[in-house]
Amino acid sequence: MSDSIRVAIAEDSGVLRDGLVQLLADRGFEITASVSEAEGLRASIERDCPDVAVIDIRMPPTFTDEGLRAAIDLRRRHPGLGILLFSQYVETRYAADLLADDAAGIGYLLKDRVADTSDFVEALVRVASGGTALDPEVVTQLLGASRRTDSISRLSSREREVLSLMAEGRSNAAIATALVISEGAVEKHVANIFTKLDLPVSQTDHRRVLAVLRFLDS
Amino acid sequence: MMAGDDASGVRLQFRLGGSEKVILVSEARLEQLRRIARAVGEEPFARRTRSELLFFVLTVPLAAVGTAFILLTMFAGFALAVTFVGLIIVAASLRAARGIGGFHRALARSLLDEHIAEPQPFVARPGFFGWLQTALRDPIGWRSVAYSLLKIPLAVFGVWFAFSVWVDAFFCLIYPIWGAGAVRPPEFGFVDNVFSPGYLSAGSSGFFHGLFIFVTGVILVFLAPWTMRVVVYVDRRLMRVLLGPDAMTARVRTLEHARAQTLDTSAATLRRIERDLHDGTQAQLVAVAMRLGQVKEKLAESADGLDLDQVRQLVDDAHKGAKEAIVELRDLARGIHPPALDIGLEGALSTLAARSTVPADLTVALSDRPTPAIEAIAYFCVAELMANVVQHAHASRASISCAQQGQWLRLVVRDDGQGGAQPALVGSSSSGLSGLTDRVHAVDGRLHITSPPGGPTVVTVDLPLHA
Repeated sequence: MSDSIRVAIAEDSGVLRDGLVQLLADRGFEITASVSEAEGLRASIERDCPDVAVIDIRMPPTFTDEGLRAAIDLRRRHPGLGILLFSQYVETRYAADLLADDAAGIGYLLKDRVADTSDFVEALVRVASGGTALDPEVVTQLLGASRRTDSISRLSSREREVLSLMAEGRSNAAIATALVISEGAVEKHVANIFTKLDLPVSQTDHRRVLAVLRFLDS
Repeated sequence: MMAGDDASGVRLQFRLGGSEKVILVSEARLEQLRRIARAVGEEPFARRTRSELLFFVLTVPLAAVGTAFILLTMFAGFALAVTFVGLIIVAASLRAARGIGGFHRALARSLLDEHIAEPQPFVARPGFFGWLQTALRDPIGWRSVAYSLLKIPLAVFGVWFAFSVWVDAFFCLIYPIWGAGAVRPPEFGFVDNVFSPGYLSAGSSGFFHGLFIFVTGVILVFLAPWTMRVVVYVDRRLMRVLLGPDAMTARVRTLEHARAQTLDTSAATLRRIERDLHDGTQAQLVAVAMRLGQVKEKLAESADGLDLDQVRQLVDDAHKGAKEAIVELRDLARGIHPPALDIGLEGALSTLAARSTVPADLTVALSDRPTPAIEAIAYFCVAELMANVVQHAHASRASISCAQQGQWLRLVVRDDGQGGAQPALVGSSSSGLSGLTDRVHAVDGRLHITSPPGGPTVVTVDLPLHA
């Protein structure tokens, strides 16, 4: 399903890096580079121009947020490059930094998500083709921390589920599959949400994500 | 008389009253003599000599003025003590004495490199009467007064014993040059008192008299730094005792320092554990979950497209990863609290000794059981020291002894390796020998290392049994 999407991997844990390489190669991705730190990643991206980079946030030498800084920098230089940040913990701040101007081609997932290989691969494909993939954890944190609780409380529980999936970056079709409802029903829910939350209607999925995040974060 | 060099030193041979005398001076002794001669020769021109002279010259008038002020205000204050004004004057005088003390400390720091710790700051209780009471009871103020009073006899002694030598030396040196002896050395001080009256006018006049005075001047220049050093040494001691923090404050400082260090160490330990978990076990488990996820999806596919070899490989990898994660977790848990300590220090230490790759003998003689904190520190000390022995010492044997001495626990770790261990060189600040020193100091213990080049290395740790 994903023939020859070209991926660069930056992950400092050897076990995990090998696992990712093996998994993605098995799923038909082309691995252009697998490195353990940010400098090597920059060099390999200059050289190979992959479609998407999977980047661990915490890497040597300081083990803090090298990956994030490299990601922000890479995005400025290569606007077409999809970036999937990959982390042991979810920090909402990081997501906000990364999504500052655009949500197209951005992903931010907990490392645990690779356990569900198909979901992970799907997210990676989405990011590579300019979509968005946010970890449900990020969305939950944003929903929990949002000051717009009274607006959100006006949503029905099904609408809230749709909102969460929408914020993760899923398309209407994917939301329909996840909730086992028809695509038409999803469209109706989405329209309701936009009206109730007073959000501008947007066509593309990643614009929709940004609108929802802005709403939750404000 | 003959002198001859041979391999081991200098051989002096001379005739004395008809009999031959031979004195052999060894090379080591010669080197020692050379060092002393060099020190004496360079001393008048050393920076330290200049600073000490300057310190003396600056502080003597300061002490005179300060003491005069303090005495005056104190007398006035006590004379008026029956009235309220007297108390205010005494209090103000004590505050001023504190200031004078601070000035001395600053001078000592900049000129003598003598770092006397700041005493506790003056913190008055609220209100005027609070201030008055605090100022009158301020131990630092009273100790500064004591310093000023003691400084006067010291200054008088200093002028007589040391300053006069510089003055005499100066005048003796210029005597032959300046006005051909028109200015005579002043007749006061140590030199004048030690030598017979009229020593400096001996030989009356002429070239040889001038030469005689000049040579005396040269000798005095080489003597002067040492007399001044004695005076300044006494002053240093006085300042340390009277102008520094008192014993209680010093103790509090030590404890505060130890507490800060303990907090830093535990924060560093937590960070290390988090790092180990994050990079090791957590990554390992994610990889295991990923492989099992792959297997699950492959098994869900249709049975005919199933690549059994690949599935087997994935399960193998996951299995291996899970086992590695278990080992990593066990090591990590042991680093946090060694389970062997639950049965007592002796058992834990024997496990350590048995695990060491350098053969180690263990002797334990404890009649009381130390508190758990002390047991843990003792255990980690021995663990770290044995790790050093294995990694750095190139030793063939080691011995660990753990004995009770009254209310103290004494650990001795000895090895027959190459020696040369130093706290600063081995390990980082949070681990290694300096980390150990911090841990030991935190409970008022002591750590002592003797590690001459070539060995053997003996590390002694004394810990209180109960902390």
